[in-house]
Amino acid sequence: MTITEALKITQSAPRDARPFTVTLACGFTPLHLQTFLAARLQQALPDRRVTIAPGLFGDLAGTLEAAAASAPADALAIALEWSDLDPRLGYRSAGDWGPAAAHDIVAGARLMLDRVAAALVRIPAGPRIALSLPCLPLPPLFHTPGWLASGHQMLLETDLLHFAAGLGQTGRLAIVNPQRLAEDSPAAERLDLKSDLYTGLPYTMRHADRLAAQLARALAPPAPKKGIISDLDDTLWNGIVGEVGPEAITWDLTSHAQLHGLYQKLLASLARSGTLIAAASKNDPAVVAKAFERNDLLLRPEHVFPVEVHWKAKSGSVARILEAWNIAADSVIFVDDSPMELAEVAAAHPGIECVLFPKDDYPAGLAMMRRLRDLCGREQVSKDDALRLESIRRSAAFHEQASGGAAPESFLQQIGATITFDFAATEPRVLELVNKTNQFNLNGRRYTEADWRKLLSAPGAVWVAVSYEDRFGPLGTIAVVAGRLHSDHLAVESWVMSCRAFARRIEHQTLRMLFEATAADAIDFSFTPTAKNGPLREFFAGLSGEEPQTGFRLTRSQFEANCPTLYHEVRELRRAEAHG
Amino acid sequence: MDDTRERLMNCFQVVFPDLSTEAVQTASSATLESWDSVAAITLMNVVEEEFGLSMDLDNLAELDSFEHLYSHLQKRLQAV
Repeated sequence: MTITEALKITQSAPRDARPFTVTLACGFTPLHLQTFLAARLQQALPDRRVTIAPGLFGDLAGTLEAAAASAPADALAIALEWSDLDPRLGYRSAGDWGPAAAHDIVAGARLMLDRVAAALVRIPAGPRIALSLPCLPLPPLFHTPGWLASGHQMLLETDLLHFAAGLGQTGRLAIVNPQRLAEDSPAAERLDLKSDLYTGLPYTMRHADRLAAQLARALAPPAPKKGIISDLDDTLWNGIVGEVGPEAITWDLTSHAQLHGLYQKLLASLARSGTLIAAASKNDPAVVAKAFERNDLLLRPEHVFPVEVHWKAKSGSVARILEAWNIAADSVIFVDDSPMELAEVAAAHPGIECVLFPKDDYPAGLAMMRRLRDLCGREQVSKDDALRLESIRRSAAFHEQASGGAAPESFLQQIGATITFDFAATEPRVLELVNKTNQFNLNGRRYTEADWRKLLSAPGAVWVAVSYEDRFGPLGTIAVVAGRLHSDHLAVESWVMSCRAFARRIEHQTLRMLFEATAADAIDFSFTPTAKNGPLREFFAGLSGEEPQTGFRLTRSQFEANCPTLYHEVRELRRAEAHG
Repeated sequence: MDDTRERLMNCFQVVFPDLSTEAVQTASSATLESWDSVAAITLMNVVEEEFGLSMDLDNLAELDSFEHLYSHLQKRLQAV
């Protein structure tokens, strides 16, 4: 991105959009880093108006201490540099570089890291925080020749890594990956000494852009893809199983098929972190079933669901897998070694991410695996992530036994369903669910962590996280409602429910609970029709007998007149805590 | 209007988007409040990108108006 492009992007922000304010903490003049960060964030958040407020020049720790003491912005970006730890580690200071100073610099830097860490942990929860570690080369101040690592340099880097690891473990901030940054911006091309001395910005234009891009991605990360649909022959394993037989397919070093083994390991790792994995293959089902019985497969069969194996078009397999997962094509990646198959699936499922498995091309194979991790990687893995695939299997079993569509009364009566309403849930899963659910979603509105906390801390705020379990197993936390209680009605701003939980009348039980817990006579929903929230629209229409309009209101009597029989056992958590 | 003048006007409007076309041509750091040190450096970089020239930060203080920048560019472009 050029500075001209960046300025034009920042100027294109909608003037009446909700502001997104970022504090940029750095000890140097932010100049182009500020412009590029604003532009990159504006691209990531096109419906917001991004503004960047720089911190204090030469006092990064002071900026963070001020942030800890005041009302937080929407986000905080921290570009830490060596000179923030001791001015002698930069080029603008006249301080001594002699051997005696080196001990003092290391000791002082350690104290400054402690001060920065202490300020960071005091910043109130809410704003997202991104940190980049010092990325400029150290000046030639230590006594060793530049091609040797000095002991002082090692001590500085050790202290820095301890500092970063400690902060990383708090889960409070996102740390820019120094290795990835080095790929985008080589170390030797980062420092602009003249700019540093004349303007106070030590970065080259290119480095300012690359660092801003990484900070912006850390502050406004793209939603991870939810699932991968993989081909089998010459993709999950090496060989055509129908020709060579289940015993002769390979994925190991000896057979020079390790790329397939690495791919299997990656899929297994992603599956354990909550990414759904399915298989789509043109093959004989009996032969594939035999292959999946091999106990040396690195991707275990229990991690793969559904498995679509037949001789028909793969686009049909993908359609059935998407239906079983109940997610849209744009949340899914399709991997195949055949460009023709990729093209056929891409044409039938616009938005799906098609990735070629590059058999025998090792650099491309590595790039593909990194891309899959980038697209599916998660900052944190919750217990609900681990439950997801099993929950989908159970859901499939549920729908099979319920004969599809609306579940018959006798079936719902017999499944032993329990719904738990938690009136004070704050775990990350709650906001994650709000931000990734499309079909049963009141208005499609997405929230930053800061926005969400604001909503929950407003006077009269009411919010409920809903979990579900039946004899098919637990589905985990599957719905969230949030709003504000007024004198005679409840105003619901956000209501989402996972599509895995459809057809169980959980939405009815949720409304019953809301009417009962708040004693409201009516609920005003901040409803807006979207391209995807048809299921919620139909639900409202079923209760009110008419097509719901923006700002839909449901009265208690309307609900009671149209609510079907509910068979759940209901449990409540922390209702007294939430309502005093 | 010659090409250099027009391109320089575009540069000014990228850095000072609220400035009218007429006001651009009389703009200077003395008359334009938003022309601070940050804007001056940004303007130099936008001019570098537009004209493919390297602008020396040593000249920053002298290039303090549209006309000074225009004259400077004319000389540089003629010398190329």
